[in-house]
Amino acid sequence: MSLTAGADLAAGSADSGATGEQAAGLYRDAFRRLRRSPTAIVGAALVALFVFVAVFAPLLAPYSPTAVDLTDIRPGVFPGPSAEHPLGLDQLGRDELSRIIYGARYSLLIGIVSLSLGAVVGLALGLLAGAFGGWVDGLVMRLVDIMLAVPSLLLAIGVAALLGPRLLSVMIAIAVVNVPIFARLLRGSMLAQRRSDYALAARSLGVTRGRIVLQHVFPNSLAPVIVQGTLALATAIIEAAGLAFLGLGSADPAIPEWGRMLAETNAFLASAPLLALWPGLAIVLSVMGFYLLGEALREALDPKLRR
Amino acid sequence: MHNLRRQSFPRRGALALGLAGLLVGTAACGGNSEDTGRDTGSAAQTGGTLVFGTSSDPVSMDGAYVSDGESLRVVRQLFETLVTTVPGGTEIEPLLATEYEPSNDGKTWTFTLRKGVKFHDGTAFDAKAVCFNFDRWYNFKGVQQSASVSYYWQTVFSGYANNEDPSLGQSLYQNCEVKGDQAVINLTSSSASFLSGLALASFSIASPTALQKFEADKVTGTGKEPRFEGTFGTKNPVGTGPFKLETFEPNNRLVLARFEDYWGDKAKLDKVILKPIADGPARRQALESGDIQGYDLVAPGDLTALRGAGFQILERPAFNVGYVGFNTAKAPLDNPKIRQAVAHALNREALVRAKYPPGAEVAKQFMPPSLFGYAKDVQAYPYDVAKAKALIAESGVTNPTVEFWYPTGVSRPYMPDPAANFQAFSADLTAAGFTVVPKSAPWNPDYLNTVDTGGTGLRLLGWTGDFGDPDNFIGTFFRTKQPAWGPLEESIYADLEAARSEPDEDKRTDLYEAVNKKIMAFLPGVPYVHTKPALAFAKGVQGYVPSPVSIEDFSKVSLPS
Repeated sequence: MSLTAGADLAAGSADSGATGEQAAGLYRDAFRRLRRSPTAIVGAALVALFVFVAVFAPLLAPYSPTAVDLTDIRPGVFPGPSAEHPLGLDQLGRDELSRIIYGARYSLLIGIVSLSLGAVVGLALGLLAGAFGGWVDGLVMRLVDIMLAVPSLLLAIGVAALLGPRLLSVMIAIAVVNVPIFARLLRGSMLAQRRSDYALAARSLGVTRGRIVLQHVFPNSLAPVIVQGTLALATAIIEAAGLAFLGLGSADPAIPEWGRMLAETNAFLASAPLLALWPGLAIVLSVMGFYLLGEALREALDPKLRR
Repeated sequence: MHNLRRQSFPRRGALALGLAGLLVGTAACGGNSEDTGRDTGSAAQTGGTLVFGTSSDPVSMDGAYVSDGESLRVVRQLFETLVTTVPGGTEIEPLLATEYEPSNDGKTWTFTLRKGVKFHDGTAFDAKAVCFNFDRWYNFKGVQQSASVSYYWQTVFSGYANNEDPSLGQSLYQNCEVKGDQAVINLTSSSASFLSGLALASFSIASPTALQKFEADKVTGTGKEPRFEGTFGTKNPVGTGPFKLETFEPNNRLVLARFEDYWGDKAKLDKVILKPIADGPARRQALESGDIQGYDLVAPGDLTALRGAGFQILERPAFNVGYVGFNTAKAPLDNPKIRQAVAHALNREALVRAKYPPGAEVAKQFMPPSLFGYAKDVQAYPYDVAKAKALIAESGVTNPTVEFWYPTGVSRPYMPDPAANFQAFSADLTAAGFTVVPKSAPWNPDYLNTVDTGGTGLRLLGWTGDFGDPDNFIGTFFRTKQPAWGPLEESIYADLEAARSEPDEDKRTDLYEAVNKKIMAFLPGVPYVHTKPALAFAKGVQGYVPSPVSIEDFSKVSLPS
């Protein structure tokens, strides 16, 4: 996702003059470096797999993720992997593979919605602070400081507990955690760009302040935001799983959220340890995908590392 | 209510694992216990120390102030009641009273007391001590009168000498007279459940000297958060029981030692150490590693593995009921056809077989079959999806939507995993054509408060019996109008009141059978399980007799030699 966003942005800003050339060059360069980085390839592959599974879940899942069938279930005894059910059955006789597949959907959905919400609000605040500076900057940044002072998972738990057990409250909770991060990042990046030579040049040519900010400084400040976005998706998946694990996910326990599936297996770890392995593995792999990709992007987009 | 303070075994500890669960999973499965007992064929011996895993420390060791299982467990060892239940049953037998006799009108009870009984502090047990205790409970004031502090007094005796809350009602207790070695208790009306109620550990007779010396009545705070200022319940509980308190180190251990001057058969064990271990899986691991020799409330899923590893599993007789309750004030549950449709839609057999230990039964009415008054032929609602669909069609309700509530962060004997029960039943209802809106809340206080104020549509709940009387089950649920259930058929209330005050046992049985049929015809909910809570002990531990009402004592327990 971030890859294409970067490419679009590069294409879009290509015709906006000298600064655009510079940006386009950065992204084109970054892309070239990404293709050569094994970290990026592994990350991108994992992310692609995750997104593919999430999008095509109804086609990929062999069974309904919520179809309860207690026929073969006994206390502490769940049929393990078989030809019909490659990952076995869970404690209510549901197909574990189908639940893991559908779980990707909820993780991706929560990740994207919460990230978008958090990024939009965070970027708006960052833009405000970065563009105006002065007392606006002071006010916004103090607000951000307050939010950053509370540990992120604690903040998310607080918000989720306040809004009640719903999928939407998980999304909002994680979005709230992302707001200060994006705000701070964009502001810092913009402050650096505002003092750059091309901004000064534009100003000396009589370009208005708004135009400089929106068309020159903002696009050029986005590189770290893209990196952060990728990393934030990983964090969002972990936090969504964490909240679900703590019982703050959706009110419907039948919804196959990975975190909740992991929490449920806790009671029968001794008799069916594999049931804890699958959602755990799913969380680890998807999170690792986004982290690796994010790391590779960070390196690729770092101007200091350009050769 | 709803066992609110009784045996709360939260599983919150289970949540603390996070992703670590992934790693623990593989480790835990390999760590099965090695066989510790070598040869257990030899006879048990006297002496030794038993370490028993509990889920928490006692709230207080003053029986009058507690209603939770963990506190009552300790009180049972230290104190004794006038009467008790037969080991493993609910029938009443003598304990501190050797004989008991009601008057013809059922209002005067004469208890002939056992001679030669001494409290741990040397005080003699006599009729004066008995009356002192009853008068103490009757004269509770302020915080002592809140339902959370003297729950069982209110359950059995309703009110106090001076009711500070007018809703409490007239006390069943009138006074207590000392007549030589007899204590005569006068009641304001006849009550069929009075004698059964006296077997509750909350009516333990404590040493009057110690009660005064250690300021047992000094209670401050609020009903929600009472503070016991005196040291009677925390450091100096003095009763006549087979064990006395040696030390109590909160969050670490509570040590009971044999009372050498006990009037009956002295305890076989030298000491019993009660070790609080909140997390269920951790209790199992403690048993497997040999840290403890027994624990209570074994998870259904652990039974087979523990048995296979050579541990003893002791089951309590089924004395509870798990049910799906309806609030008949909420549409569409006001419609009898919809209630019947729900009952036919639920596959109770499949759930009980899959999620409860062997021996659990599918419930057909709101009280266990072992109690008198259990009706043989109540209306049955077998699992039948087609019938459920037909009933919905007949009801005239299109697209019936129900809010279905379940509690989180709790495990009860009748409901080891509420979320699993919810998901199974919810899938059943959906299959029959209901739209289910899932609702959940933490057990205490949110969930129980929502239930008690009538905020739930369908709800998962249950009840564990306190004493062997039908009034403790269906009387608790349906004798008075409660927002949780919504309006029932009017005659059910009156019938239950009549059954409670009927002195003749045979007539009472008939009355309860009749009202059970009426209840199941009206269908205020769907009872689905009577289960047998289990305890686990190491090989060779002998003499523990599980009781349906948890009246269990450690004095007969012995360790292998």
